[in-house]
Amino acid sequence: MRILVLGTSSGAGKTTFCAMLCRRFSGQGLDPVPFKASNLSLNSYAAQDGGEIGMGQAFQAWSAGLEPETDMNPVLLKPSGPGVIQLVVNGKPFMDVTPDHPMDRDAVMAKVHEAYDRLESSHGMVICEGSGSPAELNLMDRDLANVGLMRELGIPAILVGDIERGGVFAAIYGTWRLLPDDVRPQLKGFVINRFRGDGSILRSGIERIEELTGMKCLGVLPYMDLRFPEEDSLSHSSGRLEGADARSAFMSNIDEMVEAAETAGLDFDSILEMSKG
Amino acid sequence: MDCIKKKVNEELSKGWIGPNRCCDYHPSHFEGQDCTFCYCPFYPCEDEDLGNFITGKRGNTIWNCTDCLFIHRTPVVKFVLSEVERLGITEAGDPRFPGILIEAKRRFFREGRALMVVGATSDAGKSVTVAAICRILQRRGYLVAPFKSQNMSLNSKVTMGGSEIAMIQTLQAKAAGLKNPDCHMNPILLKPKKDTVSQVMVCGKPYADYDVESYYGEFVPGPGREIVRENVEFLKKRYDFVIMEGAGSPAEINIYDRDIANMGAAVIADADVILVVNVEWGGSFAYALGTVELIPEEDRRRIKGIIFNNVRGDTSRFREGIPAFEEVCGIPVIGVVPHADVILPSEDSEALRGLRSRGEGKCLVGVIKFPRIANFTDLDPLFLEDVSVVFVEKASDLEGVDAVVLPGTKNTVNDMRWMEETGIADAVRKLRGRVPIAGICGGYQMMGAKLDDSLGLEGGVPGTVLDGLGFFGNTTVFGKYEKRIVNSTGEMLVGGGGTVTGYELHMGMSEVTEEPLFRIENRFDKGPQEEGSVREGEMLFGTYLHGVFDRKPFRRYFLSFVKHGGEAVELCDSKDYDDVVEENIGKLADVFEENMDIPALLGILGVSE
Repeated sequence: MRILVLGTSSGAGKTTFCAMLCRRFSGQGLDPVPFKASNLSLNSYAAQDGGEIGMGQAFQAWSAGLEPETDMNPVLLKPSGPGVIQLVVNGKPFMDVTPDHPMDRDAVMAKVHEAYDRLESSHGMVICEGSGSPAELNLMDRDLANVGLMRELGIPAILVGDIERGGVFAAIYGTWRLLPDDVRPQLKGFVINRFRGDGSILRSGIERIEELTGMKCLGVLPYMDLRFPEEDSLSHSSGRLEGADARSAFMSNIDEMVEAAETAGLDFDSILEMSKG
Repeated sequence: MDCIKKKVNEELSKGWIGPNRCCDYHPSHFEGQDCTFCYCPFYPCEDEDLGNFITGKRGNTIWNCTDCLFIHRTPVVKFVLSEVERLGITEAGDPRFPGILIEAKRRFFREGRALMVVGATSDAGKSVTVAAICRILQRRGYLVAPFKSQNMSLNSKVTMGGSEIAMIQTLQAKAAGLKNPDCHMNPILLKPKKDTVSQVMVCGKPYADYDVESYYGEFVPGPGREIVRENVEFLKKRYDFVIMEGAGSPAEINIYDRDIANMGAAVIADADVILVVNVEWGGSFAYALGTVELIPEEDRRRIKGIIFNNVRGDTSRFREGIPAFEEVCGIPVIGVVPHADVILPSEDSEALRGLRSRGEGKCLVGVIKFPRIANFTDLDPLFLEDVSVVFVEKASDLEGVDAVVLPGTKNTVNDMRWMEETGIADAVRKLRGRVPIAGICGGYQMMGAKLDDSLGLEGGVPGTVLDGLGFFGNTTVFGKYEKRIVNSTGEMLVGGGGTVTGYELHMGMSEVTEEPLFRIENRFDKGPQEEGSVREGEMLFGTYLHGVFDRKPFRRYFLSFVKHGGEAVELCDSKDYDDVVEENIGKLADVFEENMDIPALLGILGVSE
């Protein structure tokens, strides 16, 4: 079983959503493992096997009852100066990517695929997280974690949209529209995240999006003001925590989040069904 | 009338003078106005396109043309003068003037065009785009007015006429070179009061309180649409262009049919539309395409261009995606605008969300972040000094602050209760006499001894009487559902004097028992009034005047009491905030001019360079 969680923008709530899936499905004894093909982040965590991975995957691993390991995030891109990005592959610095020294995308994708295969063969379910928005037309051909992974693995995907700033229907519909024809059918469902108020007001909009795209609405999640140290530098997380503190603070929150998602009617069963495809 | 005739006679003998930049009042209407006819030779023209009858103070009927700009357009002036000469007119009141006006109107009076800027999300950059377009057109000699049919904001300002409108429309009016923003530019202002209830202001005056359901169920389909229509029509008659701003996303398909803030307003105003998308969070192509395609086709046709805004770093990488986007979307991208590093007041509380501190200065000012904090643009001028602000949400946030500011609030009573419950009130009381403390509006009311809301008008619970912070002996009574809305200018009565300007916007009136801080004048009160409260020895300052820190004298005076680690705050050569804003509007417009397809923009507006 495998599922890819995409977001309509950075900070849409992908990381937390994947952690919730890890928590919930590990509670069902399905043995999920988190995976993010590539991460653009300075907020990294030293895994037990000595490699460096994105902080988000560490949280997701704990949610799944696992210890973080390098395969969960085989590619880490760390901005290290103007126009320079340090490429970390399998937990170790690999090269500095600059405009003159671009990364060999296909070679790196092969490494991603190998790491994914190792996880899939040793776990019951792989919960993959996308990176940023999958609909960046200027980046699509170089992409690893979104359209790249969809093509490489044929993996089913769901889309998380953030309603907080408004325009969520446009974001979900537009993302679906801009995915290339060959991978669009893999996008099976969507989630509306960070909603405040009475969800019934959204119903007609949700129905319209379902009708236009054929995707299923998996739920509307309430705004949760929880101190989760988000991984990308864009999020204005007020409680940035480190190391052991982060782990205990996060673990006490994740159960609350899963519970809130259940109360809000998040359709975990459909997600499970989709992940069998 | 005789007085006007005398003035017009003088004007006729002087001939064309163009903009009179030596005049103290210049520009009384707009930057670049023609001042030849400071007094109109057609008065009272009684032409409903140009003015209206109002009732004067003594109940008499007066022809009012304060909003008419027609006689301040140079082509009109030159035509009138040439006709005066051709016909040999020498006297004001000549019966041939009405005929000249008819001909001048036939030649020069055109209804303006409306252009609407909508955003894919909140915070997309709509308001700065409107400001930039206003300035870009103003630089080309056009008369431009900003317009936002419905604004939800707790940051508002007061017009010359004593109406309350959203702060951001006054900023856009400044960008358009207008001296006096008016209530037509933001006819509906929603001020969130409680969780789902807002005070609705119509044309700058309190109208009624609505919750979400009754607003969309009763107000919008009832008076709402007509209010939007009347006001945008008013502006179209007076300006070459009306640049409208949407609210939130126009593609909220679940409430599309109840909208008067986005495409609904564009239809009413018959406006073409530009969509602005903030690139910063990613997914901008999807947001843009989704917004366009979810709008029903008959309205979608109005969308003539897309601007991608707030691109960080080099825009060339982003531009690589544009040809593919234009092919799918079918609407041209008319701008890819990089992040503009400008100092402008922040529009709404979105900007404060999650913000714990701001600024890099040495002196630490603790600002109480009330749940209903209002007019927090009052704080913006502080950042011109060596100041940083920490937003106080719990008592411990006050540790180490060098000064405290209690800002405005939409609900003094509920926020006072919140201060007590969080322990912030006691923490502030402990700082009395140790650091300077200033209260503005609601914050000033809280500094008094009592808040009397016996009628429940402010907090909603009749019989409420709360203790304030007890810094002043003042009592504030919320006695009527009535709001004081007034612009004032005055003198400081402390610190050796100096000019202060500001505006009052409040429910509730205070009985003041303290030494006053200012002596102010305005067009509504008879003669100068004492305003504010001060106990200099205890470093306590309170005023109803929003914008009190905008001018240097009071800002400097307040900061002169601040000691950071025993040292006084270093005062750099800062300017009046107004000048800083003006400079930054120019910078903003430059960034848009450089990164927008200006011929395409002008093409949408039906003009060329």
